[in-house]
Formats: sequence, structure tokens, C-alpha cells
Amino acid sequence: MIGEVLETARAHAPLLLVTTPLLAAAFVLLAPISRLNWAIGVAAMAWSAWLVLDATARLLLAGASAGAGASPLALEGIGHAGAAVLACAGLAVMVAAGANLRDFGSRERPLALALGLCVCSGWQGAMVAQDLLGVFLACETAWLASVGLAALGGERGALNGAMRMISAGAASAAMFLLGAALLMRGTGVVRMSELPLAQIEAPISSAVGVALIIVSLAAKAGLAPFHAWLPAVAGRTSAFAALTLACVGVVGALAVMARFAAYAIPAPALGESVTNVLTALGVAGVAIGSLQAIGAANVRRLAVYAGAAQGGCVLLALGLGSPAGFAASLLQLGALAAAGIAVLGGVAASGCKLNLDGLDGLGRRAPVSGAAMLVGALSLMGAPLTLGFLGRWRAIEAAVGVDLWWSAGAIIAASLAAAIYAGRLIERLYFRRSATPTPIQHDPWRISIFPVLICGALVLALGVEPSMLLRVAQAASHQIAGDAP
Amino acid sequence: MNAELGLLAILVLPVAQAALVLACARPPGLRDAAYILSACAIAGVAFFVFNETAHGAQARVVLARPLPNVDLAFALEPLGAMVALLIGGLGLLHAIHSAGFVRATHEKSPARLMAFMALTSACALAVAFSANLFTMFVAMQALTLAAFPLVEHRGDEAAGAAGRLFLAVLLASSIGLFLPAMVWTYAIAGVLDFRPGGVLGGLADPVSANLLLVMFVFGIAAAAVPPMHRWLMASREAPSPALTSMYALTVLPAGCIGVFKVAAFVFGASGLADARLATQALIVLAGASMCVAALVALSKQDVHERLAYTCLAQALAAVLGALLTIPAGLFASALQITALMCSAATLLMASGTIAAVTGRTQAGAYAGLGRVMPWTLAGFALASASMVGMPPFAGAWAKLWLIASSSSVGLVWAAVLVGLAAILTFAHLGPMAANALSGRAPPDAFIRPDGASFLLVAPVALGAVATLSLLVFASALSEFLKPVWTPMP
Repeated sequence: MIGEVLETARAHAPLLLVTTPLLAAAFVLLAPISRLNWAIGVAAMAWSAWLVLDATARLLLAGASAGAGASPLALEGIGHAGAAVLACAGLAVMVAAGANLRDFGSRERPLALALGLCVCSGWQGAMVAQDLLGVFLACETAWLASVGLAALGGERGALNGAMRMISAGAASAAMFLLGAALLMRGTGVVRMSELPLAQIEAPISSAVGVALIIVSLAAKAGLAPFHAWLPAVAGRTSAFAALTLACVGVVGALAVMARFAAYAIPAPALGESVTNVLTALGVAGVAIGSLQAIGAANVRRLAVYAGAAQGGCVLLALGLGSPAGFAASLLQLGALAAAGIAVLGGVAASGCKLNLDGLDGLGRRAPVSGAAMLVGALSLMGAPLTLGFLGRWRAIEAAVGVDLWWSAGAIIAASLAAAIYAGRLIERLYFRRSATPTPIQHDPWRISIFPVLICGALVLALGVEPSMLLRVAQAASHQIAGDAP
Repeated sequence: MNAELGLLAILVLPVAQAALVLACARPPGLRDAAYILSACAIAGVAFFVFNETAHGAQARVVLARPLPNVDLAFALEPLGAMVALLIGGLGLLHAIHSAGFVRATHEKSPARLMAFMALTSACALAVAFSANLFTMFVAMQALTLAAFPLVEHRGDEAAGAAGRLFLAVLLASSIGLFLPAMVWTYAIAGVLDFRPGGVLGGLADPVSANLLLVMFVFGIAAAAVPPMHRWLMASREAPSPALTSMYALTVLPAGCIGVFKVAAFVFGASGLADARLATQALIVLAGASMCVAALVALSKQDVHERLAYTCLAQALAAVLGALLTIPAGLFASALQITALMCSAATLLMASGTIAAVTGRTQAGAYAGLGRVMPWTLAGFALASASMVGMPPFAGAWAKLWLIASSSSVGLVWAAVLVGLAAILTFAHLGPMAANALSGRAPPDAFIRPDGASFLLVAPVALGAVATLSLLVFASALSEFLKPVWTPMP
């Protein structure tokens, strides 16, 4: 019986990835007990994570083909790996929500949880949607839920951030639709999997369409220079919203970009435009994100600017246009999500002030959160034996492999900048004493520290023994390359 | 215990020492006993490892495989065993001296200081035994992070600024130069393993080989090849035992070992021949900087500052030897590393003892101290003689081989630079030692009523004896190190 249910679930995994969090969101809005709500949210994301990890293990590691057929939803190559990262990040955010939802009033908590689940559902949907309009709908669902989550709480700063998100989102949506229309007109295809084989009749308009879609997604990922909404939201909104937006929203948008690029790059007459746009955005992301992270005085802003710089590295790896580059970008996505949860989750779990001086001596006052943040910062820096190092190494190796030395140089420059801002974090955590010691708020539910710790441990464990991860990333990227003509 | 277990033990014991010292932070007697006894254990294991290597034992410990075809691995080989013996032996003297120093000066957070010194020893040993470039990179990064708290130990604004500069130079060079050089090497050779004779020979075109050599030498900033030497001056802010650890036992020697390993095991003679231009330029830079450092030391009155420049000059001599591309040059470099570690440890411990019991930190204030602290100043004088290169001390054999090997490859000017640096070293250490021994005894020399304790004096005297070691062991060391420059069949 259970076996049959599981088999049915496996057969419909893409659909369940979208619907499970949505159904859970509906339940959460109806259930009156906040702990029950939390348990529903965690269960939904745990189920999603199991589904996608199981599918990844079966399809990628067993080498089975993942043909989408005519289904509007399917898991394939990059989508598999991206959805796995998103589902795991979503699960971690939901577990941490047990403590982080305390920022909201009792009436707002179910709504916040439901919106968080909608964000997860939306980005997971964008990873399985087969046509561009499906991707658009999924992205907009996630984005609007994100706006609602950012605005929740009603404080002026948070509302200001949400307003910026609405403005950026509207522009982004318009660009996506226009880009999709131009691409459809130029290629005559709607499904992304048909792009590599498409007969392109209007290459220029198609290239413009592709560029618009990528820029639209870059705005949603908060990549410089389209990231005006990100610091306003990160600095002022609740801990739950910040964690959801930085670790699910940003990573989701980057994963969708990777997936779209994987289909568009092999397409004749489009590949060069895609790599050019990705590379230009990547360089801008690395340069602006790094500089802003170095100058940031608020720990959450520092984390999101660092995320923007790391996102730039992801795009640089994608811009290489090779399977090795795609594999590297997937590794970097995983590293970004894990480091984000470790740093932002650690800040939330310790309840310290958001100014950087609030971190002074935190390593002693809150050793567990401090240790997780240390590991996250080391991974951002690209220190050896962390997941961040693995991603950087593979990206540099991939860049050297296609003789794009300057791209490797840009990734190394990002690491150098990361050494400065992550070094500042570590120095404050362990080598400074707080001038005005503030009491640490202990988590109401100790379980909330688990995702932060687990992410920290994963960053180290996968940095030391990454063979499984490398196989997944390689299989995901080769599957796309194999589908290409 | 077999060789593999010995190798693992020598890497793990200093970490255990750090944990033990932190666990036994109070009372001070227990802390010092734990620190010294564990240093004894490390010295014992180091001797065992050296003995096993001398008897031809081979061992390789693989901890992880973080990248395809690249292990986090350590291998038993003669250079590593030699360095382990030096770190183990001198580390024991340093542990005794540190215990005496923190008691005499009431240094703050002594357990933390000792723990991080132990961790830096662990990282330096990891550099010495690293089996490939990746492991060396990881060990270098860990060494930087472990040494940073030593620089920042005092906790004031100056120490904070020094710590940031220390971290910035070492991490930036490591990430910005060493890492890309390593990736590039991997792209060319497909491996990162250390092999006698090198892995790059004949594979890299001249442009790549030249660029790679420059990136490696500057990327290993711990070797302090200018302009990467700024960390050395910044670290003056550290307490005296930490300075001894960084200059004489861990960071600076690890940098020299790093360059040695890159020259011998990554490039080899044929790889360095491909990188002829960079090799020559780096030899000019190292030789000239050696003289300039010795000259600058002459202008410094602060003893720690002066000794920092002295150590820099000696480290550059080791780098110069490694770049000479011939076995005699590599042997000269190994001798120079030995001489640096023995002499610098003795000099720095002696200056620490003097500062702890007399409060004197200026070179001019040393006059006559030999009358009241004969053992300490005798040790200081002997170590100075070794630094200068006077026979029969360790530095003499190293300088002799450096001059001979430079001349044998036609680089007579390099030999002249080595000789000039020795004269300049004499100019800044000789008169100071002579004044200290022959001047009139100062009244009220001690700030401590009981003078220098046995814990502060004995290590200096024994360190001075160690500078005589090469008189006896130079020939045996040549045989011992032969596999380092003998290419594998």
C-alpha cells in the first residue's frame, strides 16, 4: 500500500512539488494552532525535499533518462539539481520558522507561514514548468508572495521595501513577458526544451527576447545593478522574510536563470547572446555586490550583498557555456543557499542586533550560532574544505578549460573581496568584545537552531567529501548538454 | 608504532596540545605542565618519524578527496621529517620558555596564547608533510588563520590593525595568486602531487612556466619575498613567545618550505629551466632584498623590529637557494631553513627573556647585560654568530653552500649578495652582542627582584647549542635529504 502510494507520488513528483506547499499554505491559514501550522509547513517542505531528492537520486545517479514528453511539468537536468537545492533550502527555512515567526503578531503568523510556503511553491514550480508562460506564472506567484511576506508586520521600513519590490517586480514581469513574446515570435516555440532545436527565423529579436528574460530574472534574484529592492527589504523586514527571500527567493531566481540558460545556450544564433548577457551581469554582480558588501554596516545587508556577489559568480560560471561551467554554477548555488542559511539563520537564532557591532563577541555569547556563522562566512570566502571552495574551484577550472582567463580572474576577485567582508564577520564574532553586552534571546524552540547547524555541517561535509555532489552536478549539466543538438 | 601512525600522531598531537592547554587553563602549574609535557611528546614523535624516514620508511595518510584526483593527503618524506624534528625539538625549548615568559610578565590569556601557538605548529607541520599543492594550500590557509589570533593577542587598536594587515597580506596573496597558480598547474599537469623532479617539467610553455613561478613565489606570502613581507613587520605587535613561534618555528619557515617544495617538487630542474626569466628575476629580488633587509635592520633600535628584518634576510637566503635549480642549491636552502629556525628561535627567546626580566627592548639598552645575564647573552651572541654565518655555527654551512652553489651555476653576483648580506647582518647583530657582553654592567638591571628564572634561561642556552648541530650533522643531512632532489625513476 505504502509502496504504491510512493510510486504514484514519484510518478507525479513535479506536480506534487508545486501543489504540496500550496495545499499546506491553505491548511495553515485554516488551522488555529501555531505549532500545528509550523508542523504542517515543515512536513510539506520535508515531503517536497524527499520527492526531489529521491527523483534526483533515481534519475541522475542511476542514469535514467528524464524525458519531459508533452507534460507541462517535468523534472530534468538543471531543474532537478535546482529544485533539490530549493526544496532543501525551503525545508531549512520552514524549520527555522518555528522561532523566526515570533517577529509577527499571532494573527499574522499563519499568513506569514502561508506566504513562505507560496514562495517555495512558486520557485519550485518555475523549476519544473516546461513552457515559458508556466515559468512566468510560477515566478510571479513566488514574487507576489515574497512581496506580501516582506510587507507583513506593517512597519514603515518593511512597507518601503515591499513597495520597491512591487516596482522592481512590475518592471521585471513586463520584461519577461516582452522577452517571451519576442522569443516565441523569433523561434516559434513555447516549450523551453524545444529551444535548442528551434529554427530561428528572427535571430535579433530572439536574442533581445532572451536578454530581456535573463535581465528580468536578474532583477528578481537581486543581482546588481537591479537590486535596489534587496537592501531595503533585507535590512528592515522580519527574520523569517529575510531568510526566505535570501535563501529561497534569490537562489530560486538564479536556478531558473541557470535552467533557462541551459536551454538557450545550445540554440543556434542565441548562445552567444546568452553568454554575453550572463557574463556582463556576472561581472557587474561581482563588482557591485562585493563593494557594497565590504561597505555594509548591517549584517543582513552584508549577507544579501554577499549573495549578490556570489550570484555574480554563478552567472560567470553559466556564461562559460560549457557543461563544466553549469556544474560549477549548480555547486555555487548550493553553497550560496547553505551559507545564507548559516549566516542569516545564525543571526536570527541568536537574536543579536543587526548592526555589525551587534556581532562583537557573539562567538562566545552564542557559540552554536557563532560556529554556524563562522562556517557560512568561510564558505562565502571560499576557504578550502568548504562547499564554497568547491564551487569556486570548479568555476575557475571551467573558465581555464575554455581559456576565459579574465572570467577566472573575476571569480578570484570575488573571493578576494569575500575574504574582506567575511573576514570582518569572523573578526567581530571571535576577536572583539561587545562594548555594551546585549543579552542573547534564547530560541523559544531549540529545534530552530538545527537547520542552521545542519547547513553549517553540510557546508563542511560536502566540502570534504563532495563526490556525490559532484556526480549530481555533472549529471545535471551533462543531461542538458546531451539534449542539445 | 609504525611510520603511518607516527605521521598521523605528529600532525594530531599539536592540536591535542592546544585542546589540553585550554582544558587545563587553571591552575597555571597544571597548564604549564600540560603544555611542556605535550611538547615533550611531540618532540619524541618527531624524533621517531625522523628515525623511520632515515631507515627508508614510507607513509601516506589520506584524509579526504575534496576534488577529483586531488587528495587532502600527507606523506612522509625527508624534508618534512627534518622540519618536524626541528619544530619538535625547538618547540620543546620554546614551550619551556613560553611557560617562563607568561609567568614572568603576567601575560594576559596565557592558555589561549599557548593553544594558538600549538595550532600554528600543527599547521606548519601540515605544510611540511603536505603531499600535494592542494594540501599545502589548505595548510597555509589554516596557518594564517591560526597565527592571526597571536598577532591580535594584545587586543588593543594597534594589535587589531596589525592583525588585519597580517590577514590581508597572507589571505589575499593566497587566494589571489596561489589558488589560480594551483588551478593552472592542475590544468597543465592534471595532478597536484609533489614529485621529486617536478610535475611541470616539459609540460608548461615558457610563458606559463614563468608566470606560474612568479605566482607561486608571491602567492606563498609566508616566505616574505618583498613586497609580500609586510605581514612580518605587522606581526611585531604579537607577544614575544608568539613572535618566536611565527618567525622561527611556524609561519616564516613554513613559507620557506612552501617555496622549496614548489621549486623541487612542482617545477624541478627542468621546470625551472623553462621558467628561466622568472627564476633569474626572483633570485635578483631575493638577493637584493636580503641585503636591503639587513641594511634596514641596522637602522632599527627596537630589538624585535631589528630581529624581524634579520629573519627576513635569512628567509630570503633560503628562497634564493631553492631557486638555484640544482641539488646543491636545494641542500643550501634546507641548511638555511635549519639555521634560520635554530638561530632565530634562540635570538628571539633571548630577547624575550631580556624584555621579561629587565624591560629592555631597545638595542642600545643591551650594553653590559651580559655581566648580569651571562647565559642568556652568551646564547644571544652564539645565535647572532650563526645568523651572520660565522663558522662553526649552523649559518656558516648554509652560507657556504649558498655561495658555492650560486657560483657553480655561474651566478657569481648572487654569491656576492649572500656575502654582502652576511656582512650587513654582522653589522647589525655583532656590535650589539659585543656591547652586551663587554660593556659595564648596568645598575638595577632587573625589574624582577629574582632575575631570570631557569625556565627563561635554559631554553636559550640549549637553543644556542642547537646552532652547532650542523657542525656534526651536515654531512649526514646531505645523505638524508638526497631523495628530495633525486628524480623518481
